[in-house]
Amino acid sequence: MIGRAIAFAWLRVRREPGRLALGVIGVTAIGALLFDMLLLSNGLLVSFRERLDRSGFDVRAVASESAVIAGPPIEDASRKLAALRGEPSIAAVQRVRLGSADIAGTPPGRHVTVAGVDLAAPVPWTILEGGMASSNIPEPLIINRNLSRVLHLTIGSPVVLNGRCGSGSRPLPVDATVAAIAEFENDASDALTAASSSSLVGALCGERADEADMLLIQSNPARGGPNAAAAAVRTRLPGLHALTNDQIVDRFSRVEFSYFRQLSSVLTAVTLFFGLLLIAVLLTVSVNQQLGEIAALRALGFSRARVMAGVLCESALLIGIGGIAAIPVGGLLSLWLDAILRSLPGIPADARFFVFTTHAVLVHAALLGAGAVLAAVYPMRLVAALPIATTLRREVVS
Amino acid sequence: MSESQNPEISAVKAHDISRVFEMPAGPVHALRRVSVTVRPGDYVSVVGPSGCGKSTLLHLLGCIDVPTTGSVLVNGIDVSTLSDAERSALRLRHIGFVFQRFFLLPMLTASENVELPQAEAGVARAERRARTRELLEYVGLADRASHRPAELSGGEMQRVAIARALANGPTLLLADEPTGELDQSTGAQIASLFDRLNADGTALVIVTHDPDVAARARRTLRMRDGEIVEESA
Repeated sequence: MIGRAIAFAWLRVRREPGRLALGVIGVTAIGALLFDMLLLSNGLLVSFRERLDRSGFDVRAVASESAVIAGPPIEDASRKLAALRGEPSIAAVQRVRLGSADIAGTPPGRHVTVAGVDLAAPVPWTILEGGMASSNIPEPLIINRNLSRVLHLTIGSPVVLNGRCGSGSRPLPVDATVAAIAEFENDASDALTAASSSSLVGALCGERADEADMLLIQSNPARGGPNAAAAAVRTRLPGLHALTNDQIVDRFSRVEFSYFRQLSSVLTAVTLFFGLLLIAVLLTVSVNQQLGEIAALRALGFSRARVMAGVLCESALLIGIGGIAAIPVGGLLSLWLDAILRSLPGIPADARFFVFTTHAVLVHAALLGAGAVLAAVYPMRLVAALPIATTLRREVVS
Repeated sequence: MSESQNPEISAVKAHDISRVFEMPAGPVHALRRVSVTVRPGDYVSVVGPSGCGKSTLLHLLGCIDVPTTGSVLVNGIDVSTLSDAERSALRLRHIGFVFQRFFLLPMLTASENVELPQAEAGVARAERRARTRELLEYVGLADRASHRPAELSGGEMQRVAIARALANGPTLLLADEPTGELDQSTGAQIASLFDRLNADGTALVIVTHDPDVAARARRTLRMRDGEIVEESA
């Protein structure tokens, strides 16, 4: 019966191109928005995860559980680093200290973020030009492309950094030399970023404290991977909070991204509702226009289930065709929207808001499938409850 | 000989049927204790003033409505014992309907309209195409097979509707005012087609206001106020 209902529904929708176009265009437009909402609801998280993985570090340790990087600094960082380097589950450890500085020529209101690391350990950036190995300069500075472009800095350029250390503080300027141009993890497209040794970042504000804002850890895959490395950090340094990339993503998903997700879910529900409404109205109008024909089909022997299946199949076809068309349309739309969002200030250049995933396609298909059924409920009820004799009589009299 | 071909078994038999419609203003007795037997090969016309219960009787004989009291037997089967789906299956294979307003599906061609009940009955594509061609030739519309209803005249539409009603080879054909929307000349052509159908063995019950059409039947039931008041052969 379903095969016959599908064949008949397909014939009907093909023979009524106006209705087909109206339904498909409407569902495509609404479906594209729905698809984008699904890409958006998970995209930032997927992108965040990709960026974490790309950095090469799979465990991060901080001094406070409250936030990944905005908490208090890790005291006595060198000793802690040395303690972790002896752990078999840990392949490498890096420390990160963040500071802020002005460089002569920096545009008004703009400051340079300076990351202080252990230059001998694996670093969280990718060298594009120059390098550390060949440089014998005492205070090498690694800068991003943006800083290089804005201040016309090249490899070997001398730089004077003035630390931004709060009101009333006037630290001595620190000299450095550009050793490399690099791409930094989590860099915003307009960010002015530099990196050097931890001691240079400490010197920016005249501090001698051995502190770090975060420890970045590469686990040893042969010795239990990130979970074992995180467990080792917790055992060795109980005062630190170690999180694997999985745990960071999970925490962001539950806490930081939850509002974003709720917003996306509400917009998805509203979009889906209007899609359902459109198809339900189209089908209901179509059924109401053909009550006589439907009653005649019933009189000729079409069962109640068969005419209901016909309406359901029409709904599925209209929503199915529109839903499939919505994927490429939504994909193109998401590229445009993604470019707009990524151009916002402070957004990491490699962040993506809309990420195409199989999961999003499957949810899109499931939602539209459920939508096809829901949209057909009322018109199906109309044809199911249609009194054959009364309808035929009424159609003749009217 | 199959049950449906056995002349001892009626094509349809209504025994003491009544139909009461519950209306806000009170019950309306559309049929009052009517009994009718239509045998295989019968040709019956039902006449009477508007609202006398002709169409209601036809709907009950065609199993698209159920009597308030009494019983209807189609090919010896009491339809009151059948489920809605079983009654649909019975109509699909044993009863054909022709309506005053044709009720052809506007988006389908003439041949697709005729094929539709056959497809529903599970007839193979090649077989139903051959049968459709044969039926359209029978009603004189072989050359209009690919035309949609909007491209056909009223008489042509009614002939397509008759071919559709015959699609699954029913033993009983019920027609409700089949010439009601047609001019006299076209109506006469349709009536001639019914004559030919009956001559070829199909039992016919035609509800009509047209005395010329009614006169072609071998038996005429005259109704008034929900009752058969006269039966003439």
